[in-house]
Amino acid sequence: MSRLILHVDLDAFYASVEQRDHPEWRGRPLVVGAEPGQRGVVATCSYEARRFGVHSAMPIAQAVRRLPPETIYVRPSMARYAKVSQQVMGVLETVSPVVERVSIDEAYLDVSGLTSLVGPPAIIGAQVKARIRQAVGLTASVGIGPNRLIAKLASDVQKPDGLTVVPPEQVGDFLAPMPFTVLRGIGVKTAPRLERLGVKTIGDVRQLPLETLRQHLGARTGIQVYQQARGLADDRIDPARPRQSISRETTFPEDVSDPRILEETLRWAAQEVGSIARQTRHLGRVVTLKIRFHPFETHTRSRTLKVPTADDAALFGAAWSLFAAEPWSGRPVRLIGLGISGWSATDGGVQMDLFETAAPEPCPEHDRLAATLDAIRNRFGADAIQRGLSRRSPG
Amino acid sequence: MDFVANREVFLPALSKVIGVVERRQTLPILGNLLVVAQGETVTLTGSDLEVEVRTEFGANVKEEGETTVPARKLVDICRNLAEGTDVRMRLKDERCVVTAGRGRFSLGYLAAAGFPAMGLEEGGFEFDVEETRLKRMLEKCSFAMAQQDVRYYLNGLFMELRSSLLTAVATDGHRLAKFVVSMDLAIDEPRQVIIPTKTVMELKRQLNVSEDSVRLSVGEKSLRILLGQTAMTSKLVDGRYPDYEQVIPRDLGEVAILDKDALRRSLSRAAILSNEKYRGVRLSFGKGILKLLAHNPEQEEAEEEIEIDYDGEPVSVAFNVAYMMDVLGAVDAEKVEIRFQVDNKSSIWKGEGSEDETFVVMPMRL
Repeated sequence: MSRLILHVDLDAFYASVEQRDHPEWRGRPLVVGAEPGQRGVVATCSYEARRFGVHSAMPIAQAVRRLPPETIYVRPSMARYAKVSQQVMGVLETVSPVVERVSIDEAYLDVSGLTSLVGPPAIIGAQVKARIRQAVGLTASVGIGPNRLIAKLASDVQKPDGLTVVPPEQVGDFLAPMPFTVLRGIGVKTAPRLERLGVKTIGDVRQLPLETLRQHLGARTGIQVYQQARGLADDRIDPARPRQSISRETTFPEDVSDPRILEETLRWAAQEVGSIARQTRHLGRVVTLKIRFHPFETHTRSRTLKVPTADDAALFGAAWSLFAAEPWSGRPVRLIGLGISGWSATDGGVQMDLFETAAPEPCPEHDRLAATLDAIRNRFGADAIQRGLSRRSPG
Repeated sequence: MDFVANREVFLPALSKVIGVVERRQTLPILGNLLVVAQGETVTLTGSDLEVEVRTEFGANVKEEGETTVPARKLVDICRNLAEGTDVRMRLKDERCVVTAGRGRFSLGYLAAAGFPAMGLEEGGFEFDVEETRLKRMLEKCSFAMAQQDVRYYLNGLFMELRSSLLTAVATDGHRLAKFVVSMDLAIDEPRQVIIPTKTVMELKRQLNVSEDSVRLSVGEKSLRILLGQTAMTSKLVDGRYPDYEQVIPRDLGEVAILDKDALRRSLSRAAILSNEKYRGVRLSFGKGILKLLAHNPEQEEAEEEIEIDYDGEPVSVAFNVAYMMDVLGAVDAEKVEIRFQVDNKSSIWKGEGSEDETFVVMPMRL
């Protein structure tokens, strides 16, 4: 028997949280992302803004040209979004015990066993949406299908506030008219190869023999695309599949070579990442520094810590030492950020090390301080309280 | 090359050199043993370029010569021969032919000239130590050596030679073992070396309880150990060992004295319900009583109590049970003394009255 997989996608998540919390911004175009007049991109924008053709990852300058003057621009406050996301995931767990969170605003649920308990798939989907709205006052789009691919595509069909159910027998008809570029494994490099064969839709892909797909896409992707075109995909939902990493980065309005500004920016990123990690109860070992020089020369450097951490100062310390170890001083930096990964279970205990006392010392006072700072920021905003920084006058 | 030796002489010699031969080699010839027949002796050598073991035994050499043959195959053949069999080994028609009883084995060989022998370093500091004492020293410390740690200098045993003291230290950062032997070394300048983990494990395996003396020759880059007919030559880890004295805490609180076997048994039981991956067990010391507590993600829980000799403040600290068991295994005394600190800092363990040993165990934050 085929499974019943449900995909939930919170609509314009960051923007919706902002509009929820600021009633005066509702019904107006709103952009969460970089500040106008500076560099950087749109992280999320409200549906009112999308009507002007603005979308995520669009350079902010381009968005500003398209949007009317009454548009609201906000910087993201990740800690707040993370908290809302946490609540939503909690709600989803009341629907089904098998929830796999894939990002801050997306999750898959295995609801196979629920039909006899709750009712037909459409009722389950409606229930998910209602519970989310009730708990956090946000809308979500839900897709239900026999596997992850179909569920995900279905949740995209009617946005926002959509609900689409694709029963197994309708999978073929559902996929046939869609552009083949929605399939996993088709990217900017592989798409033109199929377009040259006259392929436009998934229905067209289905006409191609497996051998042709393998020739043009390579063995692995070829088989993958062949199967997807027939609606075959992974239907496993793994609640334990953890998020891979937490990261924050920023694009500077103008290239920066002043180490003090780089340092401050990294401290900010460490604070954001640390805050999300602590709220989601993650302790990581691997700190990654990401840096981009003009125009698009990107580097990443990682360091593995002996003691897993979610501490702002430890994250910053590791990232800054990675920066300092490279001959990058004085080069104009376009983007800088840091991330943490390599999770260590927080419930099993953390082994202390004899020689790593200088590195992140996770003592209770430190944790209490971090928790207090988080609480203040949650209540009064991300900029309400900052760690101090001693600055000697030059010379 | 052509010689005959009895299996009961040949096999013990083979088992001395086979230990250093890696199952996977960077050079094919390192999977072979160097066999040299000369006069009335046969010398066997195995190597992995880091450590080399050479041993010799008496044989009826009909024709002198040398070659290298696949180590494991030769050992497996000899091991499976009947006890007391005479084994003949000779080179014939591009093969190394081993005959024993009614069996005949033709092995491929590689020319002896290609075998990378480790040179003998001149001018090393030489001293003798009783075999039992050296074995005991390694047994006290080797469990704490790091294995393939990025802090490469921890992947070995630190040995310090002073005029009247021989000190061994091993640590992987989570625990540390130190053992001191008083002996007259007659050395002017203290010398410090790091012996690689593999060499230490191999040496420990080969040492017996005996009053025979073992000769150590400590060079700048290598170490040679002579014991009986066997010579082990090892490269040393080129690095600076951390200041271990600094991480051995002084001025600790009250000492708790426990029956070693009682603690060991309680720990084995409590460990059953600890987190399988992290294996943390919490120790709560109160006046006259130690409570052990372990639980796992399934919310199962184990509690144990042991009467102890302790009169200090209540302290609660968690450790990886495997680390505690390693230490208890290295303690000879019947009672063990533990001194610890609050706030997830290190603890000191040793056998009661055993002033020559110190074990430091870092706790876990549970």
